[in-house]
Amino acid sequence: MITKDKIQDYIQKIPPAPKALRKTLSLLNDGELIKAAKVAESDLALKSYLKNLVNKPIFGFRSEVTDISQIFGILGVSGSQQAVYNYMTNLLSPNKWLLFNLNRTTFHSLQAELSKKWEQILLYLEISDKDVHSAITLLPASIILSEALFNKKIEDVRLLRSAKDIDFNTILIRLCKMSLFDICIEISKKWEMPDIIAQIIKASSGIEPSEDKEINRLAKWMHLLLFYQLSQPTFVEAGLNDFVDFQIDFVSDIYEDFSKLMNIGT
Amino acid sequence: MRAVVKNGIAIFSPQGFLDGDSTSAFLSIEDINATEQLKVDMVLVSLKKVVFFNRNGLDVFVKLFSKVRQANHATVGFCDYDSKKYTAIIKFYKDDLNFSLFITAKAAHLFSSSFKNESKNVLLYSNDKSQRSAMAIELHDNGHNPVIAQSEEEFIEKSKNEQAYDIILTNTFLGQMGQKIATRVTGNAIIYSIAAFLDADIGNKFNIAYHNNSLNVGFRLFIFDAYKVISMNIHALNFFSRLASSAAEYNATICFVGMTFEKTPKNFQDIMEDSGIMFFDHMDDILQNKELLKELGASSAAVGKFKRQIKKETVVELPRFINAAVATIEMMTNSKAIKEAATIDEISITNKTDKIASSIGFYGDLDGMVILVFPTKIAKKTCELLIGEKTDNNELVLDSLAELVNIIGGKLKSLLADDNLSVDITLPRTYSSVDNLLEITTGRRGVQVDLAFNNDKFLFFLTR
Repeated sequence: MITKDKIQDYIQKIPPAPKALRKTLSLLNDGELIKAAKVAESDLALKSYLKNLVNKPIFGFRSEVTDISQIFGILGVSGSQQAVYNYMTNLLSPNKWLLFNLNRTTFHSLQAELSKKWEQILLYLEISDKDVHSAITLLPASIILSEALFNKKIEDVRLLRSAKDIDFNTILIRLCKMSLFDICIEISKKWEMPDIIAQIIKASSGIEPSEDKEINRLAKWMHLLLFYQLSQPTFVEAGLNDFVDFQIDFVSDIYEDFSKLMNIGT
Repeated sequence: MRAVVKNGIAIFSPQGFLDGDSTSAFLSIEDINATEQLKVDMVLVSLKKVVFFNRNGLDVFVKLFSKVRQANHATVGFCDYDSKKYTAIIKFYKDDLNFSLFITAKAAHLFSSSFKNESKNVLLYSNDKSQRSAMAIELHDNGHNPVIAQSEEEFIEKSKNEQAYDIILTNTFLGQMGQKIATRVTGNAIIYSIAAFLDADIGNKFNIAYHNNSLNVGFRLFIFDAYKVISMNIHALNFFSRLASSAAEYNATICFVGMTFEKTPKNFQDIMEDSGIMFFDHMDDILQNKELLKELGASSAAVGKFKRQIKKETVVELPRFINAAVATIEMMTNSKAIKEAATIDEISITNKTDKIASSIGFYGDLDGMVILVFPTKIAKKTCELLIGEKTDNNELVLDSLAELVNIIGGKLKSLLADDNLSVDITLPRTYSSVDNLLEITTGRRGVQVDLAFNNDKFLFFLTR
């Protein structure tokens, strides 16, 4: 159905990050918000993405924010970096979604909501590392990957799943010995993202916990956040609820804290 | 979302958080309709991967339960929960708990007609006395050995000795149980469960098309599990006599197990025996008696009386059939198939060692039977995707092979539906050796296509 070669082929085709983006990122890394905003202005697609993002309801601004330096100011260094990474992930997203019932808008809101809630979690955990902040941006890439790899095989997948409850990630692992998250890591390498992002993403699958305690803790929160988000009606309807296997034991010790933080009633 | 159906049990497995909003997204109207159409005897919702739920979240499923039960009398309920979730559900529905709760899916199997007579040792406890007895009766009826703990202390004490029991059952609740003629396959015998009063209605409840096609596919032993039958009248008697004479044409045997004639005229038994029906007191009298099983044809099917010829309409569809089979196997093994030869004749298998086979019948606008003969090696490979690991357990391989053929059957069905041809598929039958297969195919002509997967020979045979 899907072979290792096909995955390699897919990874080959991922374009490197555009120059302007890399420049913006490195300036953001140095904390140069204004200079970064100037460079970002030159990339029109990025500009419109950022505008769209900040004006999503979850940010709660009354009037429209349009100026890039203003946007970077609002988001702060880590928030801006996260937004740019989100944009890069977004570059991979297909024009037309076939496997999952998503579109540009719903995918953007998935990114925005994950980012915002992740920020809330990190605040609670008292973690301010901006690379950790950005780690969440790569998670939606796994969804794009499933879409890209499986969309032509949807009938096969459906048949297979009518006989056995197997998620996309497990199918890939059994067929190619590679998980969706491994491919995400390949992408992150190609985009020269910090190593810690890849490590957290890998552990967040819940299947391969990291040896590093701190990374594991973050991965648990990320795993649960992902499932919280994918239980929202829009994403359930999009068919995302069962795209990877939820590891309930992996997150059992943080559930209480999580539900308090997200105000989940009992 | 759709349920995964296996062994007559449909299981939904939602993940994450279930509240009123999200659950209605989980179950669309089409999903509910599709579930009602399923021919299953249990519909379960697994809460294994649910972190959070509230009453609104469960309500949508509970509504589905009542619809399904109305439509086909299946047993319905939740399974796979911990004691916290169990307490919550009991609290939510304390007065109108009309569905069942099974602590695990495995525990639910005990109550399903698909897993009867496995003689599991079950330790059970419920603080509700009537539940305790209801469970014990059901378990006993299904051929298991229940041990009831009368108090919580006794339960804790007894459950310390884990090895003594196959399953420890607690936090389980039996709502209304379903009643219908269920079908299941043990070895290569088909078992139907019948219960209560048998009258003219049996003709409506019994899936005769399914039965006839099972005959055609090569099933030769049909057992009616009649432990729960109270009595039967003359209409039911006629029905079974006719069934027996049609079975005789295929050299098939029909058996009744556990039937008592307390409230049924004794001469009914004579009439039924005259028409060829055999009576046994216990299921194990047949299933544990290998020689009898062989004699009755469960492990080796006798040659059918009718040599049906394959029809032109079916041959026209042949490329599609092959494509469906090949595409599915390619998908499962990740290898490419090459077509080597196609002939119309009786099946010919050159090298018979290390091969297993499987067949599935289809009926409706078109009818016929697809037979696949695999080298054991390929079969194991295709099963890896389903099981997730390498295995040398032959039964497990045959079991997943049956699933694979089922997937192929499903694919065929959807391909034919594209052409507005509507067919249903029978249960898959497996053969642990080529000789077993040849016993039913001898004398049948059909289309044989030889295929090769990375030099492993593989055979596709289409007949009627």
